Amino acid sequence: MSNPAIDIASLTKTYGRDRGIEEVSLQVNDGEIFGFIGHNGAGKSTTIRVLLNMLFPTAGNARIMGMDVVRDSRKIKYITGYVPSDANAYPHMEAGEFLRYCGRFFSPDGNERRINELTELFEVDLKRKIGDLSMGNRKKISIIQSLLHEPRLLIVDEPTMGLDPLMQARFFELLRSENRNGMTVFYSSHTLSDVQMLCKRVAIIREGRIIKVEEIETLRKRQLRKIFIEFGSAEENSLTELPGIEGTPLVSGRSVRFLYSGDINQLLSRLSNRKIADMTVEEPSLEEIFMHYYN
Amino acid sequence: MRELRSNAVSLLIWTSVITALTALTMSFYGVFLENNQKILAMISIIPEGTLQFKGISDVDDLFSVLGFYSANNVIYMLVLGSIYSIVLSSGILLKEEYNKTAEFLLAWPLTRGEVFYSKAAVVFLNVAVINIVTAIAGYITLVTVKREPFSTDAFIVMSVYTLLLNMFFASLGLFMSTLVRRARPITTLSIGLVLILYFIFTISNITDGLSFIGYATPYKFVGMDTLAPDYRLEFISVIYFGGLSLLLSFTAIRLYRRKEIYL
Repeated sequence: MSNPAIDIASLTKTYGRDRGIEEVSLQVNDGEIFGFIGHNGAGKSTTIRVLLNMLFPTAGNARIMGMDVVRDSRKIKYITGYVPSDANAYPHMEAGEFLRYCGRFFSPDGNERRINELTELFEVDLKRKIGDLSMGNRKKISIIQSLLHEPRLLIVDEPTMGLDPLMQARFFELLRSENRNGMTVFYSSHTLSDVQMLCKRVAIIREGRIIKVEEIETLRKRQLRKIFIEFGSAEENSLTELPGIEGTPLVSGRSVRFLYSGDINQLLSRLSNRKIADMTVEEPSLEEIFMHYYN
Repeated sequence: MRELRSNAVSLLIWTSVITALTALTMSFYGVFLENNQKILAMISIIPEGTLQFKGISDVDDLFSVLGFYSANNVIYMLVLGSIYSIVLSSGILLKEEYNKTAEFLLAWPLTRGEVFYSKAAVVFLNVAVINIVTAIAGYITLVTVKREPFSTDAFIVMSVYTLLLNMFFASLGLFMSTLVRRARPITTLSIGLVLILYFIFTISNITDGLSFIGYATPYKFVGMDTLAPDYRLEFISVIYFGGLSLLLSFTAIRLYRRKEIYL
Protein backbone atom coordinates (compact mmCIF):
# COMPACT_ATOMS: atom_id res chain seq x y z
CA MET A 1 0.00 0.00 0.00
CA SER A 2 1.40 3.42 -0.94
CA ASN A 3 2.18 6.06 1.67
CA PRO A 4 -0.30 8.87 2.14
CA ALA A 5 0.77 11.94 0.19
CA ILE A 6 0.63 13.90 3.44
CA ASP A 7 0.57 12.35 6.89
CA ILE A 8 0.40 14.80 9.77
CA ALA A 9 0.41 13.32 13.28
CA SER A 10 -0.30 15.39 16.41
CA LEU A 11 1.55 18.34 14.92
CA THR A 12 1.91 21.31 17.23
CA LYS A 13 3.61 24.57 16.46
CA THR A 14 3.66 27.36 19.00
CA TYR A 15 5.22 30.80 18.76
CA GLY A 16 6.41 31.37 22.29
CA ARG A 17 3.19 31.91 24.19
CA ASP A 18 1.17 32.45 21.03
CA ARG A 19 -0.88 29.71 19.46
CA GLY A 20 0.11 28.37 16.09
CA ILE A 21 -1.40 24.94 15.57
CA GLU A 22 -2.21 22.33 18.17
CA GLU A 23 -2.35 18.57 17.82
CA VAL A 24 -3.14 18.71 14.12
CA SER A 25 -3.59 15.27 12.62
CA LEU A 26 -4.73 14.51 9.11
CA GLN A 27 -3.92 12.33 6.15
CA VAL A 28 -4.14 13.26 2.51
CA ASN A 29 -4.32 10.27 0.21
CA ASP A 30 -2.04 9.95 -2.76
CA GLY A 31 -3.89 11.23 -5.80
CA GLU A 32 -6.64 13.19 -4.10
CA ILE A 33 -7.55 16.86 -4.13
CA PHE A 34 -7.85 17.74 -0.48
CA GLY A 35 -9.34 20.98 0.82
CA PHE A 36 -7.98 22.75 3.87
CA ILE A 37 -10.29 25.48 5.04
CA GLY A 38 -10.35 27.96 7.85
CA HIS A 39 -10.53 31.66 8.57
CA ASN A 40 -7.48 33.90 8.34
CA GLY A 41 -5.18 33.12 11.25
CA ALA A 42 -6.74 29.70 11.84
CA GLY A 43 -3.42 27.93 11.23
CA LYS A 44 -3.55 27.01 7.53
CA SER A 45 -0.35 28.79 6.53
CA THR A 46 1.46 27.62 9.68
CA THR A 47 0.62 24.02 8.79
CA ILE A 48 1.85 24.53 5.23
CA ARG A 49 5.07 26.21 6.36
CA VAL A 50 5.82 23.29 8.65
CA LEU A 51 5.27 20.94 5.71
CA LEU A 52 7.73 23.01 3.67
CA ASN A 53 10.30 23.16 6.49
CA MET A 54 10.10 26.93 6.87
CA LEU A 55 8.91 26.39 10.44
CA PHE A 56 9.91 23.53 12.71
CA PRO A 57 7.39 21.46 14.65
CA THR A 58 7.17 22.10 18.38
CA ALA A 59 5.74 18.59 18.77
CA GLY A 60 4.44 15.83 16.57
CA ASN A 61 5.59 15.18 13.04
CA ALA A 62 4.61 15.34 9.42
CA ARG A 63 5.55 13.23 6.45
CA ILE A 64 5.18 13.78 2.74
CA MET A 65 5.16 10.65 0.55
CA GLY A 66 6.57 8.79 3.55
CA MET A 67 9.46 11.25 4.06
CA ASP A 68 9.98 13.34 7.16
CA VAL A 69 9.40 17.04 6.47
CA VAL A 70 12.41 18.11 8.54
CA ARG A 71 14.97 15.42 7.78
CA ASP A 72 14.08 14.83 4.13
CA SER A 73 13.08 18.36 3.23
CA ARG A 74 15.30 18.61 0.15
CA LYS A 75 14.04 15.34 -1.34
CA ILE A 76 10.48 16.38 -0.63
CA LYS A 77 10.89 19.65 -2.48
CA TYR A 78 11.93 17.82 -5.65
CA ILE A 79 8.47 16.26 -5.79
CA THR A 80 6.47 19.13 -4.34
CA GLY A 81 5.20 22.33 -5.89
CA TYR A 82 4.02 25.28 -3.84
CA VAL A 83 1.87 28.29 -4.65
CA PRO A 84 2.22 30.77 -1.76
CA SER A 85 -0.63 33.10 -0.88
CA ASP A 86 1.58 36.15 -1.42
CA ALA A 87 2.84 35.99 -4.97
CA ASN A 88 5.93 38.11 -4.24
CA ALA A 89 8.56 36.72 -6.54
CA TYR A 90 11.75 38.66 -7.28
CA PRO A 91 10.44 41.99 -8.62
CA HIS A 92 13.54 42.97 -10.62
CA MET A 93 13.48 39.74 -12.66
CA GLU A 94 11.61 39.33 -15.92
CA ALA A 95 8.86 36.72 -15.71
CA GLY A 96 10.60 34.45 -18.22
CA GLU A 97 13.96 34.82 -16.49
CA PHE A 98 12.36 33.93 -13.15
CA LEU A 99 10.62 30.85 -14.54
CA ARG A 100 13.79 29.57 -16.24
CA TYR A 101 15.64 30.21 -12.96
CA CYS A 102 13.05 28.11 -11.09
CA GLY A 103 13.10 25.46 -13.78
CA ARG A 104 16.86 24.99 -13.54
CA PHE A 105 16.49 23.71 -9.98
CA PHE A 106 14.81 20.68 -11.48
CA SER A 107 16.16 20.35 -14.99
CA PRO A 108 19.29 21.67 -16.75
CA ASP A 109 17.26 23.14 -19.62
CA GLY A 110 15.05 25.06 -17.18
CA ASN A 111 11.93 23.11 -18.23
CA GLU A 112 11.56 25.33 -21.30
CA ARG A 113 8.87 23.14 -22.87
CA ARG A 114 6.75 23.23 -19.74
CA ILE A 115 7.23 27.00 -19.38
CA ASN A 116 5.96 27.54 -22.92
CA GLU A 117 3.02 25.22 -22.39
CA LEU A 118 1.90 26.87 -19.14
CA THR A 119 2.54 30.48 -20.17
CA GLU A 120 0.42 29.89 -23.25
CA LEU A 121 -2.38 28.53 -21.09
CA PHE A 122 -2.24 31.46 -18.66
CA GLU A 123 -1.44 34.11 -21.30
CA VAL A 124 1.58 35.53 -19.50
CA ASP A 125 3.97 38.10 -20.98
CA LEU A 126 7.40 36.68 -20.17
CA LYS A 127 9.24 39.86 -21.11
CA ARG A 128 7.78 41.99 -18.32
CA LYS A 129 9.44 42.45 -14.96
CA ILE A 130 7.60 40.73 -12.13
CA GLY A 131 7.49 43.96 -10.14
CA ASP A 132 5.52 45.59 -12.97
CA LEU A 133 2.91 42.83 -13.13
CA SER A 134 -0.57 43.03 -11.64
CA MET A 135 -1.46 40.86 -8.65
CA GLY A 136 -3.30 38.43 -10.93
CA ASN A 137 -0.37 38.08 -13.32
CA ARG A 138 2.06 37.59 -10.45
CA LYS A 139 -0.23 34.85 -9.21
CA LYS A 140 -0.11 33.19 -12.63
CA ILE A 141 3.71 33.25 -12.51
CA SER A 142 3.54 31.73 -9.05
CA ILE A 143 1.24 28.96 -10.27
CA ILE A 144 3.42 28.25 -13.32
CA GLN A 145 6.63 27.98 -11.26
CA SER A 146 4.94 25.50 -8.95
CA LEU A 147 4.04 23.19 -11.81
CA LEU A 148 7.22 23.36 -13.92
CA HIS A 149 8.67 20.12 -12.59
CA GLU A 150 5.36 18.22 -12.74
CA PRO A 151 5.29 17.64 -8.97
CA ARG A 152 3.66 14.64 -7.33
CA LEU A 153 2.20 16.94 -4.68
CA LEU A 154 1.02 20.48 -5.17
CA ILE A 155 0.42 22.65 -2.11
CA VAL A 156 -1.56 25.78 -2.85
CA ASP A 157 -2.41 28.57 -0.43
CA GLU A 158 -5.23 30.87 -1.59
CA PRO A 159 -4.27 30.27 -5.23
CA THR A 160 -7.16 32.06 -6.91
CA MET A 161 -6.71 35.36 -5.08
CA GLY A 162 -6.34 37.97 -7.83
CA LEU A 163 -7.14 35.63 -10.73
CA ASP A 164 -9.99 36.63 -13.05
CA PRO A 165 -12.84 34.10 -13.52
CA LEU A 166 -11.52 32.88 -16.87
CA MET A 167 -8.07 32.18 -15.43
CA GLN A 168 -9.63 30.60 -12.35
CA ALA A 169 -11.53 28.21 -14.62
CA ARG A 170 -8.34 27.37 -16.55
CA PHE A 171 -6.48 26.85 -13.29
CA PHE A 172 -9.15 24.47 -11.97
CA GLU A 173 -9.18 22.55 -15.24
CA LEU A 174 -5.38 22.30 -15.10
CA LEU A 175 -5.54 21.02 -11.52
CA ARG A 176 -8.12 18.40 -12.49
CA SER A 177 -6.04 17.34 -15.46
CA GLU A 178 -2.82 17.10 -13.42
CA ASN A 179 -4.75 15.25 -10.74
CA ARG A 180 -5.95 12.71 -13.31
CA ASN A 181 -2.28 12.19 -14.13
CA GLY A 182 -1.58 11.36 -10.49
CA MET A 183 -0.79 14.69 -8.84
CA THR A 184 -2.07 15.14 -5.30
CA VAL A 185 -3.37 18.61 -4.44
CA PHE A 186 -3.47 20.14 -0.97
CA TYR A 187 -5.78 23.10 -1.48
CA SER A 188 -5.78 25.64 1.34
CA SER A 189 -8.32 28.39 1.03
CA HIS A 190 -11.11 30.30 2.63
CA THR A 191 -12.89 30.55 -0.73
CA LEU A 192 -15.28 27.75 0.01
CA SER A 193 -16.89 27.64 -3.41
CA ASP A 194 -13.48 26.75 -4.91
CA VAL A 195 -12.94 23.99 -2.37
CA GLN A 196 -16.47 22.69 -2.90
CA MET A 197 -15.94 22.61 -6.66
CA LEU A 198 -12.56 20.86 -6.61
CA CYS A 199 -12.10 18.78 -3.52
CA LYS A 200 -13.39 15.43 -2.45
CA ARG A 201 -12.37 15.71 1.18
CA VAL A 202 -11.84 18.66 3.39
CA ALA A 203 -10.34 19.49 6.77
CA ILE A 204 -11.67 22.43 8.73
CA ILE A 205 -9.20 24.15 11.01
CA ARG A 206 -10.22 26.61 13.70
CA GLU A 207 -7.97 28.35 16.20
CA GLY A 208 -5.12 26.00 15.35
CA ARG A 209 -7.10 22.79 15.78
CA ILE A 210 -8.64 20.48 13.21
CA ILE A 211 -12.32 20.37 14.01
CA LYS A 212 -13.48 18.16 11.16
CA VAL A 213 -11.99 16.01 8.42
CA GLU A 214 -14.69 14.71 6.17
CA GLU A 215 -15.75 14.06 2.60
CA ILE A 216 -17.57 17.10 1.31
CA GLU A 217 -20.51 15.00 0.15
CA THR A 218 -20.77 13.42 3.59
CA LEU A 219 -20.66 16.79 5.23
CA ARG A 220 -23.38 18.01 2.98
CA LYS A 221 -25.66 14.98 2.81
CA ARG A 222 -25.45 13.04 6.03
CA GLN A 223 -25.38 15.41 8.85
CA LEU A 224 -26.92 18.76 8.26
CA ARG A 225 -30.12 19.95 6.68
CA LYS A 226 -31.07 23.50 6.09
CA ILE A 227 -34.69 23.79 7.20
CA PHE A 228 -37.13 26.57 6.41
CA ILE A 229 -40.61 26.45 7.94
CA GLU A 230 -43.40 28.99 7.57
CA PHE A 231 -46.03 28.38 10.23
CA GLY A 232 -49.69 29.27 10.07
CA SER A 233 -49.24 31.81 12.84
CA ALA A 234 -46.37 33.48 14.68
CA GLU A 235 -47.40 31.79 17.95
CA GLU A 236 -46.49 28.38 16.53
CA ASN A 237 -42.93 29.18 15.46
CA SER A 238 -41.16 28.04 18.64
CA LEU A 239 -39.02 24.90 18.38
CA THR A 240 -37.28 25.07 21.72
CA GLU A 241 -35.72 21.95 23.20
CA LEU A 242 -35.81 20.01 19.97
CA PRO A 243 -32.59 17.96 19.88
CA GLY A 244 -30.58 18.39 16.68
CA ILE A 245 -31.13 22.08 16.09
CA GLU A 246 -27.70 23.58 15.49
CA GLY A 247 -27.16 27.05 16.85
CA THR A 248 -29.97 29.54 17.30
CA PRO A 249 -32.88 29.37 14.85
CA LEU A 250 -33.41 32.52 12.85
CA VAL A 251 -37.00 33.57 13.55
CA SER A 252 -38.78 36.14 11.40
CA GLY A 253 -42.51 36.59 11.94
CA ARG A 254 -44.20 33.28 11.14
CA SER A 255 -41.09 31.72 9.61
CA VAL A 256 -38.03 30.09 11.08
CA ARG A 257 -34.72 28.94 9.52
CA PHE A 258 -32.18 26.66 11.11
CA LEU A 259 -29.59 23.93 10.51
CA TYR A 260 -30.75 20.56 11.74
CA SER A 261 -28.61 17.51 12.42
CA GLY A 262 -31.15 15.41 14.30
CA ASP A 263 -33.66 12.74 13.28
CA ILE A 264 -35.95 14.17 10.60
CA ASN A 265 -38.85 12.00 11.93
CA GLN A 266 -38.54 13.60 15.32
CA LEU A 267 -38.79 17.01 13.70
CA LEU A 268 -41.84 16.01 11.68
CA SER A 269 -43.44 14.52 14.78
CA ARG A 270 -42.89 17.79 16.64
CA LEU A 271 -44.49 19.70 13.78
CA SER A 272 -47.40 17.33 13.27
CA ASN A 273 -49.89 19.19 15.47
CA ARG A 274 -49.04 22.62 14.06
CA LYS A 275 -50.35 24.40 11.03
CA ILE A 276 -47.61 24.76 8.42
CA ALA A 277 -47.94 27.10 5.42
CA ASP A 278 -44.65 26.09 3.77
CA MET A 279 -41.58 24.02 4.48
CA THR A 280 -38.32 23.31 2.64
CA VAL A 281 -35.49 20.93 3.51
CA GLU A 282 -32.24 21.58 1.65
CA GLU A 283 -28.62 20.52 1.69
CA PRO A 284 -26.59 23.36 3.13
CA SER A 285 -23.74 24.85 1.13
CA LEU A 286 -20.20 24.23 2.25
CA GLU A 287 -20.13 27.79 3.48
CA GLU A 288 -23.10 27.15 5.77
CA ILE A 289 -21.51 23.96 7.04
CA PHE A 290 -18.25 25.79 7.57
CA MET A 291 -19.98 28.55 9.51
CA HIS A 292 -21.81 25.92 11.53
CA TYR A 293 -18.52 24.31 12.62
CA TYR A 294 -17.00 27.68 13.24
CA ASN A 295 -19.85 28.79 15.44
CA MET B 1 24.46 34.39 -10.24
CA ARG B 2 21.06 35.98 -9.59
CA GLU B 3 22.24 37.27 -6.23
CA LEU B 4 25.51 38.54 -7.71
CA ARG B 5 23.62 40.41 -10.40
CA SER B 6 21.12 41.89 -7.98
CA ASN B 7 23.95 43.29 -5.84
CA ALA B 8 26.11 44.44 -8.74
CA VAL B 9 24.64 47.95 -8.94
CA SER B 10 25.09 48.56 -5.24
CA LEU B 11 28.68 47.26 -5.40
CA LEU B 12 29.40 49.51 -8.37
CA ILE B 13 27.98 52.58 -6.61
CA TRP B 14 29.82 51.99 -3.33
CA THR B 15 33.10 51.20 -5.11
CA SER B 16 32.78 54.23 -7.38
CA VAL B 17 31.94 56.60 -4.53
CA ILE B 18 34.81 55.40 -2.30
CA THR B 19 37.26 55.42 -5.23
CA ALA B 20 36.15 58.91 -6.27
CA LEU B 21 36.40 60.20 -2.69
CA THR B 22 39.89 58.70 -2.34
CA ALA B 23 41.04 60.16 -5.67
CA LEU B 24 39.52 63.54 -4.86
CA THR B 25 41.12 63.66 -1.43
CA MET B 26 44.50 62.51 -2.73
CA SER B 27 44.37 65.17 -5.45
CA PHE B 28 44.67 67.76 -2.65
CA TYR B 29 47.93 66.21 -1.42
CA GLY B 30 50.08 68.48 -3.58
CA VAL B 31 48.29 71.61 -2.37
CA PHE B 32 48.53 70.26 1.16
CA LEU B 33 52.32 69.90 0.90
CA GLU B 34 52.77 73.31 -0.71
CA ASN B 35 50.91 74.93 2.18
CA ASN B 36 52.46 72.85 4.93
CA GLN B 37 53.35 75.80 7.14
CA LYS B 38 49.84 77.23 7.05
CA ILE B 39 48.40 73.78 7.62
CA LEU B 40 50.72 73.11 10.56
CA ALA B 41 49.59 76.40 12.06
CA MET B 42 45.96 75.39 11.58
CA ILE B 43 46.53 71.90 12.93
CA SER B 44 48.28 73.29 16.00
CA ILE B 45 44.97 74.76 17.17
CA ILE B 46 43.11 71.47 16.63
CA PRO B 47 42.90 69.37 19.82
CA GLU B 48 45.05 66.25 19.68
CA GLY B 49 42.03 64.08 20.27
CA THR B 50 40.35 65.33 17.13
CA LEU B 51 43.37 64.33 15.08
CA GLN B 52 43.43 60.95 16.70
CA PHE B 53 39.80 60.66 15.70
CA LYS B 54 41.10 60.36 12.16
CA GLY B 55 43.86 57.96 13.13
CA ILE B 56 46.60 60.62 13.10
CA SER B 57 49.02 60.02 15.96
CA ASP B 58 51.81 62.22 14.62
CA VAL B 59 51.10 65.40 12.63
CA ASP B 60 54.25 64.91 10.55
CA ASP B 61 52.76 61.68 9.23
CA LEU B 62 50.20 63.75 7.35
CA PHE B 63 52.92 65.17 5.13
CA SER B 64 54.02 61.75 3.89
CA VAL B 65 51.87 60.47 1.07
CA LEU B 66 51.11 57.18 2.84
CA GLY B 67 50.25 58.94 6.08
CA PHE B 68 47.93 61.27 4.20
CA TYR B 69 46.30 58.33 2.42
CA SER B 70 46.03 56.34 5.64
CA ALA B 71 44.26 59.17 7.49
CA ASN B 72 41.60 59.25 4.79
CA ASN B 73 41.42 55.49 4.48
CA VAL B 74 40.17 55.40 8.08
CA ILE B 75 36.97 57.15 7.08
CA TYR B 76 36.59 55.74 3.58
CA MET B 77 37.31 52.08 4.02
CA LEU B 78 37.48 51.40 7.74
CA VAL B 79 34.13 53.10 8.31
CA LEU B 80 32.33 53.34 4.95
CA GLY B 81 33.68 49.98 3.76
CA SER B 82 32.59 48.38 7.02
CA ILE B 83 29.14 49.94 6.68
CA TYR B 84 28.86 48.55 3.15
CA SER B 85 29.94 45.11 4.37
CA ILE B 86 27.54 44.90 7.28
CA VAL B 87 24.59 46.38 5.39
CA LEU B 88 25.08 43.90 2.55
CA SER B 89 25.52 40.89 4.80
CA SER B 90 22.78 41.69 7.29
CA GLY B 91 20.25 42.11 4.48
CA ILE B 92 21.14 39.32 2.11
CA LEU B 93 19.27 36.57 4.00
CA LEU B 94 16.72 38.78 5.71
CA LYS B 95 15.48 40.46 2.54
CA GLU B 96 14.21 37.06 1.37
CA GLU B 97 12.02 37.08 4.47
CA TYR B 98 10.71 40.63 4.55
CA ASN B 99 10.19 40.66 0.76
CA LYS B 100 8.49 37.27 1.19
CA THR B 101 10.56 35.74 -1.60
CA ALA B 102 11.66 33.10 0.93
CA GLU B 103 8.33 31.41 0.18
CA PHE B 104 9.74 30.58 -3.24
CA LEU B 105 13.39 30.15 -2.31
CA LEU B 106 12.74 27.74 0.55
CA ALA B 107 10.22 25.74 -1.44
CA TRP B 108 12.82 24.86 -4.06
CA PRO B 109 15.07 21.83 -3.55
CA LEU B 110 17.80 23.63 -1.63
CA THR B 111 19.01 22.98 1.87
CA ARG B 112 19.28 25.88 4.29
CA GLY B 113 23.03 25.32 4.18
CA GLU B 114 23.11 25.76 0.39
CA VAL B 115 21.09 28.97 0.66
CA PHE B 116 23.41 30.28 3.37
CA TYR B 117 26.65 29.33 1.60
CA SER B 118 25.60 30.86 -1.71
CA LYS B 119 24.53 34.12 -0.02
CA ALA B 120 27.66 34.23 2.16
CA ALA B 121 29.83 33.62 -0.92
CA VAL B 122 28.23 36.62 -2.63
CA VAL B 123 28.84 38.76 0.47
CA PHE B 124 32.50 37.81 0.85
CA LEU B 125 33.10 38.11 -2.89
CA ASN B 126 31.57 41.60 -2.97
CA VAL B 127 33.56 42.68 0.09
CA ALA B 128 36.74 41.34 -1.51
CA VAL B 129 35.95 43.13 -4.80
CA ILE B 130 35.31 46.51 -3.15
CA ASN B 131 38.53 46.16 -1.15
CA ILE B 132 40.66 45.10 -4.12
CA VAL B 133 39.27 47.75 -6.47
CA THR B 134 39.57 50.59 -3.95
CA ALA B 135 43.06 49.40 -2.97
CA ILE B 136 44.20 49.35 -6.62
CA ALA B 137 42.63 52.76 -7.18
CA GLY B 138 44.24 54.02 -3.98
CA TYR B 139 47.64 52.70 -5.06
CA ILE B 140 47.30 54.42 -8.43
CA THR B 141 46.49 57.73 -6.74
CA LEU B 142 49.40 57.28 -4.34
CA VAL B 143 51.79 56.67 -7.22
CA THR B 144 50.31 59.62 -9.11
CA VAL B 145 50.55 62.24 -6.34
CA LYS B 146 53.64 61.06 -4.43
CA ARG B 147 56.64 63.42 -4.14
CA GLU B 148 58.82 60.85 -2.38
CA PRO B 149 58.90 57.06 -2.38
CA PHE B 150 56.53 55.24 -0.05
CA SER B 151 56.47 51.71 1.28
CA THR B 152 54.37 49.45 -0.91
CA ASP B 153 54.59 46.77 1.77
CA ALA B 154 53.04 49.12 4.31
CA PHE B 155 50.30 49.96 1.82
CA ILE B 156 49.57 46.24 1.28
CA VAL B 157 49.53 45.60 5.03
CA MET B 158 47.07 48.48 5.53
CA SER B 159 44.87 47.12 2.72
CA VAL B 160 44.91 43.64 4.26
CA TYR B 161 43.90 45.09 7.65
CA THR B 162 41.05 46.89 5.91
CA LEU B 163 39.95 43.69 4.18
CA LEU B 164 40.09 41.72 7.45
CA LEU B 165 38.01 44.36 9.23
CA ASN B 166 35.43 44.45 6.43
CA MET B 167 35.23 40.63 6.39
CA PHE B 168 34.67 40.71 10.14
CA PHE B 169 31.76 43.12 9.73
CA ALA B 170 30.39 40.98 6.89
CA SER B 171 30.41 37.94 9.19
CA LEU B 172 28.85 39.97 11.98
CA GLY B 173 26.03 41.07 9.64
CA LEU B 174 25.30 37.47 8.64
CA PHE B 175 25.27 36.44 12.28
CA MET B 176 22.96 39.29 13.30
CA SER B 177 20.51 38.49 10.51
CA THR B 178 20.10 34.94 11.78
CA LEU B 179 19.16 36.26 15.21
CA VAL B 180 16.34 38.46 13.93
CA ARG B 181 13.06 36.74 14.63
CA ARG B 182 10.64 38.99 12.81
CA ALA B 183 11.23 39.66 9.14
CA ARG B 184 12.31 43.30 8.95
CA PRO B 185 15.37 45.15 7.72
CA ILE B 186 18.15 45.83 10.25
CA THR B 187 20.04 48.34 8.13
CA THR B 188 19.84 51.16 10.66
CA LEU B 189 20.95 48.89 13.48
CA SER B 190 23.88 47.65 11.40
CA ILE B 191 25.08 51.13 10.44
CA GLY B 192 24.59 52.29 14.02
CA LEU B 193 26.68 49.40 15.31
CA VAL B 194 29.64 50.24 13.05
CA LEU B 195 29.49 53.91 14.05
CA ILE B 196 29.15 53.13 17.76
CA LEU B 197 32.12 50.74 17.65
CA TYR B 198 34.18 53.35 15.84
CA PHE B 199 33.07 56.01 18.32
CA ILE B 200 34.04 53.80 21.29
CA PHE B 201 37.40 53.15 19.67
CA THR B 202 37.94 56.88 19.20
CA ILE B 203 36.96 57.67 22.78
CA SER B 204 39.40 55.01 23.94
CA ASN B 205 42.15 56.67 21.87
CA ILE B 206 41.64 60.18 23.16
CA THR B 207 40.89 59.37 26.80
CA ASP B 208 43.82 57.91 28.66
CA GLY B 209 41.77 56.30 31.41
CA LEU B 210 39.47 54.61 28.91
CA SER B 211 42.01 53.12 26.54
CA PHE B 212 41.01 49.61 27.63
CA ILE B 213 37.51 49.97 26.14
CA GLY B 214 39.08 50.09 22.70
CA TYR B 215 39.57 46.34 23.01
CA ALA B 216 35.80 45.98 22.85
CA THR B 217 35.95 47.13 19.23
CA PRO B 218 37.57 45.54 16.20
CA TYR B 219 39.24 48.85 15.30
CA LYS B 220 41.72 48.33 18.13
CA PHE B 221 43.12 45.38 16.20
CA VAL B 222 43.62 47.31 12.98
CA GLY B 223 47.20 48.52 12.58
CA MET B 224 46.94 52.19 11.56
CA ASP B 225 50.45 53.45 12.17
CA THR B 226 51.59 52.89 8.59
CA LEU B 227 54.79 54.91 8.97
CA ALA B 228 56.08 52.99 11.99
CA PRO B 229 59.27 51.11 11.08
CA ASP B 230 57.91 47.85 12.43
CA TYR B 231 54.50 48.23 10.79
CA ARG B 232 53.32 44.77 9.80
CA LEU B 233 50.39 42.41 9.94
CA GLU B 234 50.22 41.41 13.59
CA PHE B 235 49.61 37.76 14.34
CA ILE B 236 47.14 38.62 17.09
CA SER B 237 45.10 40.72 14.63
CA VAL B 238 44.99 37.93 12.06
CA ILE B 239 43.85 35.48 14.74
CA TYR B 240 41.33 38.00 16.08
CA PHE B 241 39.72 38.83 12.73
CA GLY B 242 40.09 35.38 11.22
CA GLY B 243 38.89 33.60 14.34
CA LEU B 244 35.95 35.89 15.00
CA SER B 245 34.87 35.92 11.35
CA LEU B 246 34.95 32.12 11.23
CA LEU B 247 33.18 31.81 14.57
CA LEU B 248 30.44 34.27 13.59
CA SER B 249 29.94 32.64 10.18
CA PHE B 250 29.94 29.15 11.66
CA THR B 251 27.42 30.16 14.34
CA ALA B 252 25.31 31.95 11.73
CA ILE B 253 25.03 28.85 9.54
CA ARG B 254 24.06 26.74 12.53
CA LEU B 255 21.40 29.25 13.53
CA TYR B 256 20.11 29.65 9.98
CA ARG B 257 19.69 25.89 9.60
CA ARG B 258 17.25 25.99 12.52
CA LYS B 259 15.79 29.42 11.93
CA GLU B 260 12.02 29.73 11.87
CA ILE B 261 11.06 31.67 8.76
CA TYR B 262 8.18 33.94 9.75
CA LEU B 263 6.67 35.78 6.81
